[in-house]
Amino acid sequence: MTLPILFACLAGVLVGVSRQVNGRLSLSTSPLIASFWNHIVGFVALSILGLSIGGLIPEGAADAPWHAYLGGSIGVVFVAAGSWLIARIGAVNTALLVIGGQMVSGVALDVLQGVSAGLLASVLGVTLILVGMALTQRRR
Amino acid sequence: MTTPSAPRLNPLHLLAAFGTGGLLTLMVHFNGELGRYGNALFSSWAAHGTGTVAALVLLAILYPWRARNAGAKPHAPLWAYLGGISGAITVMLTSFAVNSPLALSGTLALGLAGQVIFSIVADRWGLFGLPMRRSDRRDLAAMVLILAGSALIILFGRGNA
Repeated sequence: MTLPILFACLAGVLVGVSRQVNGRLSLSTSPLIASFWNHIVGFVALSILGLSIGGLIPEGAADAPWHAYLGGSIGVVFVAAGSWLIARIGAVNTALLVIGGQMVSGVALDVLQGVSAGLLASVLGVTLILVGMALTQRRR
Repeated sequence: MTTPSAPRLNPLHLLAAFGTGGLLTLMVHFNGELGRYGNALFSSWAAHGTGTVAALVLLAILYPWRARNAGAKPHAPLWAYLGGISGAITVMLTSFAVNSPLALSGTLALGLAGQVIFSIVADRWGLFGLPMRRSDRRDLAAMVLILAGSALIILFGRGNA
């Protein structure tokens, strides 16, 4: 059980590392160029991995609807936005506000899809996040 | 180059960051769907491939605007081009953790903790060539509220669904 815990924490750390590194690249280039390099380098790395362990292109892949392939294009804007933001509002603010936006929009997506399990906890969670965000807007 | 913590966050930046989180929800939703037809590795590989093409298309569209605004910028060190490696490792670690007893909710919650702790360290010492920033007590209060709300949603809201 120790290994999965370690891996899960490390995955979070690496999300931060890649945003930090892409942010640095965007200072010398542009957020969109940083996002391009992030994607092409990741693509090459995953190609090498997939070719060495096999199963890179699974059988079911052809059956996926076209919209399932939209994630990559959204990711380009996501990485570019993160690189742009981190140089302006810092790593902590970027991480917290992106997490807040992800959580609130995730709950909204659940509600739109008619998922109502855990709704009370979700509504309470959204409230806490919005109050936290408002706090960053309060003048001293 | 230490930046004293700003009097308050620019509301535009706040909205942009919040909207970026919304993009992440959509991205995870689509990549997750692709992963169900194939597997996690294929989903991430395909997303990086289509993303590379999408970035090239966007760069081509924006090229005239960029050419006008190009100015002298500091040279980027080689490692700054390797952010994608970090992302590729994240995919592997996450797919391993999700398939352990931690499941999705535990993986998300721990990942969030790792991300926030790293961001505090990164701001404090200005890691990877970005400016240093110090957090004050109000920043910490906002952090506690946002993290508590996220934990509630992950552990008792969405994650339990």
